[in-house]
Amino acid sequence: MKPDFDVAIIGGGPAGSSAAAYLAGAGMSVAVFESELFPRPHVGESLVPATTPVLVETGALAEVQAAGFPKKYGAAWTSAESRKVPFSGDDGMSHDFQDFRAEIEFAERDQAGVHLDYTFHVDRGKFDLILLKNAESRGAKVFSGVRVLNVDFDDPELVTLTARMGPREINYTARMVVDASGRHTLLGKQLKYKMPDPVFNQYAIHTWFEGLDRRALSNNPEQVDYIFIHFLPISDTWVWQIPITDTVTSVGVVTQKKLFTEAKADREKFFWDCIGSRPDLYEALQKCERVRPFKPEGDYSYSMREICGDRFVLIGDAARFVDPIFSSGVSVAMNSARLAAADIIAAHQTGGDYSKASFDTYARKIRRGVKSWYEFISIYYRLNVLFTAFVQDPKYRLDVLKMLQGDVYDGEEPKALAAMKEVVEAVENDPTHLWYPYLGSLRATGPAEASPAEEPVTVAELAEPALVGG
Amino acid sequence: MSQDLVTDRLIDFIRERFLAGDPNGELTVETPLLEWGVLDSLNTAVLLTHIRDEMGITISPVHINGRNFATVASIAALITSIPVVSAS
Repeated sequence: MKPDFDVAIIGGGPAGSSAAAYLAGAGMSVAVFESELFPRPHVGESLVPATTPVLVETGALAEVQAAGFPKKYGAAWTSAESRKVPFSGDDGMSHDFQDFRAEIEFAERDQAGVHLDYTFHVDRGKFDLILLKNAESRGAKVFSGVRVLNVDFDDPELVTLTARMGPREINYTARMVVDASGRHTLLGKQLKYKMPDPVFNQYAIHTWFEGLDRRALSNNPEQVDYIFIHFLPISDTWVWQIPITDTVTSVGVVTQKKLFTEAKADREKFFWDCIGSRPDLYEALQKCERVRPFKPEGDYSYSMREICGDRFVLIGDAARFVDPIFSSGVSVAMNSARLAAADIIAAHQTGGDYSKASFDTYARKIRRGVKSWYEFISIYYRLNVLFTAFVQDPKYRLDVLKMLQGDVYDGEEPKALAAMKEVVEAVENDPTHLWYPYLGSLRATGPAEASPAEEPVTVAELAEPALVGG
Repeated sequence: MSQDLVTDRLIDFIRERFLAGDPNGELTVETPLLEWGVLDSLNTAVLLTHIRDEMGITISPVHINGRNFATVASIAALITSIPVVSAS
């Protein structure tokens, strides 16, 4: 029986639409099943330059350029440190807030395949729609408002997707399926591959504000459209500030899940309580108008036992998500689409063998890339003061910048990582180290192979976590 | 660089940068810098940068502990114990 399509793709976000564009561009018959009607709101608004080659190769860059998204030339981190200085000669203590900043500009390092000095901050409703329409223009068949319920793999020659269209359930067949269902992780759940991350269990609350004076927060007019990461003096907690338009700014608090659940239902109060620990931010945001409801995002740190198998691959968030701190999500989505499509096209061109071994290269490369992200993210949360110190150190700055550019798929272990791990271990083992009080409180909360809840996970243990495949 | 010269330069820098000039001349080589809050985690990083830029000595953050940074004397001893490589 001839299947309806060569490839069925579950999900029309950046991963699914990019995969569809590559595959249709190579002459395969492709269907994308997107459960929502675009445009729709979505978290994940700051890109990294590693998305550019995918935009170029799929032909979407011109439309993205024309959409007028704010251009992102770099990133900046701020923190506030309260200091008590009894030595000032006064009888009492004096306090002052020391503003501690680190920043990088993408142009500082050449990146293979990237010809622009900037990338974009995007309204995901608009961005995702551009990419999906682009896939359609390349020949992909797009089903909007159609939700895939499950995939049947019984037939060794094809896959059968059951999709809900209005009141009916309709089956479609294909030679193989790409799961780009994002955090819905359709196949990860169906096949029971999904494993929560043993260390990360963060939670985010975000919204949009109108009228934030980004210039006042910035110091430097050239950085006004950077992404800003504001550290809060609360363990493992930070705030993102992402420009969406000239007047609209996305602001999100990312924190430990337990702090959020302890706050119970009042998301709004929790958000403002967190922001309140940075008076400069609080004052600036209080003057703004909030133009979207507060949206929570949780349970977003997980991995999959397998990311490919006979007649299927998982890409984007459907394969793995760790943490938003380095804006890796959309880049992993689009680059995993690129890498998976290469293997799928190769299989198609050599006789159509879509068994698991055909996707080895994809699985290996994406796991390696994500491992790099994972280790930097772990170090960031373990000791964020170290992260900013390495950004400012000329010896390691470009190495950190490489990671921040999303340039993680070439298989080289970042040199800064080994040096950072050494410092973290030294700090962990020396309670008199000045950075000891700044160690984050990462705790393993996952399944049996994780450390007991009482012991902080050390970076040595994080270095080869059981769940990050190689 | 002799330890005396390092000591003098450190005292000058810390006075100017962290103690608003130290008008009463209270900083000595034995002043307990951490206990008295003259140095903390963040401005120690500033001090390390200064040492690298002005003296050509790179001290890894591994060494930012209570013993090494207790006093100007102990910091100077740490600096002079590190072999000089080419300044970055």
